[in-house]
Parts: sequence; structure tokens; C-alpha cells
Amino acid sequence: MGQERYNQNSEKMKKKFSCVMTFLLCVVLLSSIPSWAQLHLGQYQDEAPFRTWNTFGVPSASSVGMGETHFASVSDLSASIINPARLTALPEFSLTLNTSYTTASIHKYAIVNTGVLRTDGNSAMGLYAIDFAGIAFTYNGWALGISIGLLETYERPSQNPDYLSQGEVVYLLEFQQSGLLRNYNLSLARKVGGRFSFGIGLNYVSGELVKGIVENMYYSGVTISDQKEHNFKGFYLNGGFVADVAQNIRIAAVFRTPYTKKADSKSSLRYDSPQGNTDIRIEVAAESEYKQPFVLGLGVEYWFSPGLRVASDVSYFNWSSYAVTYFDEEIKKEFRNIVKISGGLEYTTSLRLFRQDLQVPLRIGLSYDPQPVEEPNSHYLYYTFGFGLHWQKLHLDAGAMLGEEKGSGHDLNGRRFAVCLSYFL
Amino acid sequence: MKKFLVFLSFICFAFGLSGAQHHTNQAVIGVEKNQRVMKALQGMNLDLLMERDGKIYIVVSPEDLIALTANNIFYTVESHKFIPENRKILAVQGGVNGDFHSYAELERDMMALADAYPELAQVIDIGDSLEARNIYAIRISNNVGIQESEASVIFLGGHHAREWISVEVPYLFAKYLVENYDTNPEIRRLVDNCDIWIVPLVNPDGLEYSIHFYRYWRKNMRDNGDGTYGVDLNRNYGYKWGWDDTGSSPSTASEVYRGPHPFSEPESQTIRDLFGQQNFQALVSYHSYSQLILYPWGYTEAASENEDLLFEIAEKMSQLMEPVNGRYYKADRAGAGLYLTNGDTTDWSFGEYGIPSFTIELPPDSRITGEFFNAESDIQPIFNENLPAALYLIDWCIQTYPSHTRAYQSPSRSQQQRVLHKK
Repeated sequence: MGQERYNQNSEKMKKKFSCVMTFLLCVVLLSSIPSWAQLHLGQYQDEAPFRTWNTFGVPSASSVGMGETHFASVSDLSASIINPARLTALPEFSLTLNTSYTTASIHKYAIVNTGVLRTDGNSAMGLYAIDFAGIAFTYNGWALGISIGLLETYERPSQNPDYLSQGEVVYLLEFQQSGLLRNYNLSLARKVGGRFSFGIGLNYVSGELVKGIVENMYYSGVTISDQKEHNFKGFYLNGGFVADVAQNIRIAAVFRTPYTKKADSKSSLRYDSPQGNTDIRIEVAAESEYKQPFVLGLGVEYWFSPGLRVASDVSYFNWSSYAVTYFDEEIKKEFRNIVKISGGLEYTTSLRLFRQDLQVPLRIGLSYDPQPVEEPNSHYLYYTFGFGLHWQKLHLDAGAMLGEEKGSGHDLNGRRFAVCLSYFL
Repeated sequence: MKKFLVFLSFICFAFGLSGAQHHTNQAVIGVEKNQRVMKALQGMNLDLLMERDGKIYIVVSPEDLIALTANNIFYTVESHKFIPENRKILAVQGGVNGDFHSYAELERDMMALADAYPELAQVIDIGDSLEARNIYAIRISNNVGIQESEASVIFLGGHHAREWISVEVPYLFAKYLVENYDTNPEIRRLVDNCDIWIVPLVNPDGLEYSIHFYRYWRKNMRDNGDGTYGVDLNRNYGYKWGWDDTGSSPSTASEVYRGPHPFSEPESQTIRDLFGQQNFQALVSYHSYSQLILYPWGYTEAASENEDLLFEIAEKMSQLMEPVNGRYYKADRAGAGLYLTNGDTTDWSFGEYGIPSFTIELPPDSRITGEFFNAESDIQPIFNENLPAALYLIDWCIQTYPSHTRAYQSPSRSQQQRVLHKK
């Protein structure tokens, strides 16, 4: 009996052992299968805007301080590109000037960390710009706004590796990319029935993107250059609606039509060897197209008291419709729709400075900004803060947002600091 | 004298093409209109284009030029007068890399060839690249859907991403074969008696990277996991793989990184698997640059047992190529003629299957005359000069079939077992 039980146990043990061994064998076999890695540029494809893909208008300093919320809460002229309905809330005459300094770190882009050049860590750069200027008039419930904004920039950290031999540079590679997209806006808004406002904006965008690689092989006198230029232009409409649904609640809805960023593209690829009397050029002029997505946004603003308010925005970017035709050739892009969520709080206190009474809004916020590129699936989480100094006619605001990226495995970051000056009459 | 005139006509033909009609083997010539010429032209069945100012303009093939010369009809090459006026239109056809093919353009053009000549050409997806692009072969034969008992040969291109011309030559060869089958009896004979496989682009991922990111990219797009990318596909084949660190490199950052093990890459696996299914008698793998016709061995400077045969074929091909544009391709053993290479395509196909295998290094001939660059206008001339060599190799396969099959002369024991097993 005991022997039988021993045998049974022994059989069970053998079965368990063989199961475990089979499992381990499977694990070993599976782990030895090579993984099919692909070259995913990720967020920073050539045409990717610096810091984030999800550009919708130009957030001014007060918006930056409140987690980039602005659909219902924007109170300066940046409303013209974001929600023109809010222009009706401005005084008879207003003028806004916004400046910003944006930094971001990048790991994989163009020829960097994709095979040609390898960096130990991330590359970083900063861009300063006067990124928004506008003027608006209101009269008898109507509002008209004219503005120019810097919608996107396409800068990348330059790279200039060289190779020395006996103290002399015998090889030099230069990589550079630059570019921007300006937005010219004309907006019209109307207040209806005291509690509602509607607005529509006509936008013309123009800009350029230039990418160049030059290789100087001084040892053989050969120079190889590859220059690609795109001159963009396009039109789109934006619009919005605002409703003061209660004394302390305001809601808003905004949209941006899908549009095609068309480009006259030129490519010049050249091999120049004076020593070999050889100059080979492949020069191409063609059209490129970047189909920008439809954007829909909803915003809410709630006042707890005259000095304390919160605001939140939700924006939907229809990135799955993103399509690129590059030099007349369709380029496959795998993008997903994304929802960006922002929230912020503003507490306003008062201060007496230089014998003047000042309103001092203090702001904090959060913004969740998922990137539309499918692989890798990444997002930024921004912590924001800011403050303002508001005289009666002159408002000075400052805001900062500090973001960390998750998903790419490279711990990228993005930061934006903005200062905005508005004058109201 | 007549030979000289034919040679001259080929030269003119090549120059005439260079500026005008890319991806075709035709040129436009002009002849003086007079009674003698008109009478002679009537019997030649030529493609008359137009008549202007006392000149007749004719679209001609190389064969037509020979016939014209034989009939003592003097002509001038006029292709330059028929260049498309709008450069932008050319760009529309060419994409960012001009008249060279991108992956998508090649896919489209190969499909178009098969659609236009369904009885002669078949496009076959023989495998996937690392980034899931299709690797296409175009099979050309008179009964293309049927596995016949006939000679078989394979032409490969685009192992190395930056060698754009190595994609064009095999593609244009496929195009030439199907477009001339009906009108050229010699082409008809070759296609009727040989199963011709052409894989113009073995490394599609690398080519796309070379076009869109960095012109001088060479390898495939393998993420080596240490910040480096790429395996040299022409060091990843299984015969004498990793024989030494001179002919290939174990370093992932190297341009000649051989991969972690033989056939580690899906692109080289695809070619290996195709060989498992077909009985090829000969192989040509196009590369650039140097103007060489290289034959095994590459892993050693020593000669193979079949040195005489390999040299004879390579030398004959070189002799056929030189008269076309005056460019000399030196026939040489790979290990001695260029540099040592192990794990390359031709060592593998020769070592494993015993078939004559050649690496043709296309123009230019040196670093300072273009290196891996070729002018768009040189695509057609380079193809033209390679055409007689490719046709000769097909003819060689037909003439020696079935004696020069794998079973006949396979030097490796494992392959003999494999062939026997197949039988």
C-alpha cells in the first residue's frame, strides 16, 4: 500500500516535473526567437511640432499657468485662434502680446539614434519666440479680432560630429533642421441674448521646414549634401460657442476644421568631387501634403467665489485621419485619436504696489497630453503654475508648465514658459 | 567597318537615352527624308514618330539601329529634343529620389509589368523584411505559372541600401525581357527555355531609410539593442559565415556587421528559402561600386575548384559589356579582386549549391567619381551595358542544362544530401 502510494506520488512528481520542464523549455525557446524590432521614430517624426503634436492655437501665459485650459476661461486675445466667441468678453479695444520660451528633450529623430549617430542621452534645445500678437475691437455685442501666432516649430538639435586625424578634421557631418508655421487669423464674434456668444475664425497658415545633411570628406575632397525644403500653406476655420449657464458656470465648445497643410517641396541631393571631376545631382520639385486633423473641444469654468475659479478642457484630436503625401508619394503613418485633458485653478488676491491697486491671480494646473503616434504609446503630464499682475488697463501674466513624458522609455521632457502683456481700453 | 558602325550606334544610342527616356530601351533618331531611305524604311516595320523639316523621326530599339546601319541609313540621335518640358512632371513620377525607385514605386512598377504581361511575368511575394515590407520576386518564363523542367537563373539587387543603381539594373532587365519577348526572337528563345527569377530589392527597409534619412545607409534596419542599427545582409549568409573578422565584423556598429548568427535576418532567410524551392543554375547579385565582376571565393584569396569556369563566364560577360558604353568591368576572384568577404551571397550560393555565382559591382569605378552615387541619366546606360552579360548568362544556363545543375557539381556534402533528398 505504502509502495503504491509512493509510486503514485512519484508519478505525480514526474508529471509535475515534466510540466515544469516543458514550460521552461517553451520559455527558453520563445526567448530565443529574435524580436522583430522596427524603426519607429516615435514622437519626433520630421514634421512633428517641437514639444507636442497637439497644437490648437497659441496658449497665452494665463492659460499656461492653468494647465493650458482656455476654451471657456480665456480672457485675452489668444481667444481668436482658440475660441473666438470669447472675444465678446473683451473691452472695446484690446491688444495682446505673448512671448514664450519652450524647451524639450529629444532622443530619436532624423539620423540621430536611428542608425547613423548615437547619443549617450537625450538631446535638448530651447526656443524663444514672440509667439502671439493680436488686436481686437468690440462694439455693440460684436467683436472683431486680428492676430498672428506661431503655431508650430520644427526645430531639432543640430549635430556636427567630426573625425580627427593627426589633429586635423578629415571628416565632418553636419545635421540641421529648422522650420515654423505661422497662423494668420481674422475672427468675428457675436454676443446673443446676454448669455451666449458665437465666434468664427478664418485662418491662413504658412511656414517652412528645412532639413539638411552635409558630409565633408576632407581626405578625398568629396562633399555630399542632402537638402529638403517644404514651404507650407493652408486654410482652416475655427469657431466656438460660449454659454453662461448660471451666474458662476460657463461652458464652451470649440472646433477646428481639418485642413491640408500643402507644401511646395524641393529636394537636392548632391555628390561633389572636384578631384574626380564629378558633380552628380538629383534635384526634385514636387508637392507634399499633410492632412491635419479635426479638433473638437469642450470647456467649463466654475466660480466658487469672485476670487476663486476652476476650469477644465477636454479636446479630441482626430489624428487617425492624419495622412502624409511626401514628394507626391504617400507615406504610411500610424496615428491614433487622442483626448487631451487639462484642468486649472486660479485664486485672485489683491495687492497695493506703487500706490496702485493690483489684482494678482495665482494659478496652478495639470495637463495630460497623449501623443498620437501609435508606437511608442507615449504621453506628457504637465504641472503648471503662474501668476498675473493686473492693473486696470494693463495685464501682465506669466506661466510655466513642466512636463515629463512616459512611454517612449527615454524620459523625455517638455517645458514652456510664457509671459503675456495685454492692454485693454 | 560594319562592326565599328554597330558599336558606334550603340554608343549613340546610350547617349541619346541618357537625357531622354528613362526606364525604356528606346531612343528617338532622325533620318533625312529621301526616296532611297523611304524605300528602305518601308520594309523595316519601324515606329515612325513624326516628320518635320525634311526629317523623319523614328522611335528605335538597339536592334533597329543595327538594321538601319546594315541598310546604310545614316541617322542622328534626337532623343534630347523629346525631353519632357516640365521637370515637375518627372518629379511626380520619381518621388524624392528622382528617377530611382523607392520601395512603393518598385512595387507598383513590378505589379504593372506583371499586369501588362500576365502570360510572361508573375510577381511573387517571397518574404517579409524586418519592418514587414514585402520582398518581391518577378518570375519570367513563357509558361510562368508552371514549374517546367528547364534552366533557371536568379538575379538579385538591393542588398545594400545605398546602392540604388543595383535595384534599377535587375528591374530594367525584367522590363526588357517582357517588353521584347514578342519582337526579339533571341529574347523569346531565352525566355522560352529558362525560368528567370529577378529580386530587385532584397533590403527594402534599408532603401527607404537611405532615401528618407541618410543616403549612405548600407545595412538593414535591425535594432541591435545597443543603440546601433543594422546587419550587413551581404555578410549574413550561411557559408563560411564569420570565417574571420576581416571579411565581416562581429561588432554591431560596423558597416559589415554579420549579425548574431548565419541567416539571422529575414531578408537573407527569404533568399535562402527561395533557393530551397527552386533549382537555380546561376546567380548574379548586383552591387556598386567598382566595375567588377567578382566570383567565389570571397572568404579567402584561394581559388575554388571551378576557378577556370567561373573566370571564363565572368570574362565573357566583361567582354560583352565593354563595347556598349566603353566601361570596363574587371573579372576577378572576389577575395583577391576587391577585399575579403565572408557570409556573402555568392560564396553561399556557390558553396552550398555549386552554381556559378557572380557579384557585379556596377559603376562608377572609384570613390572620387561618384562612389555610391549614379546620375539619373546614367541609369539606362548602366543597364544597357549589363544587358548583354545577363543575356549571356541565361544562354549559358540553357546551353548547359541539365548538366550544370546543383546535383552535378555541388561541392558541399550537405548539399548533395539535400539534392538527393529533394529527388
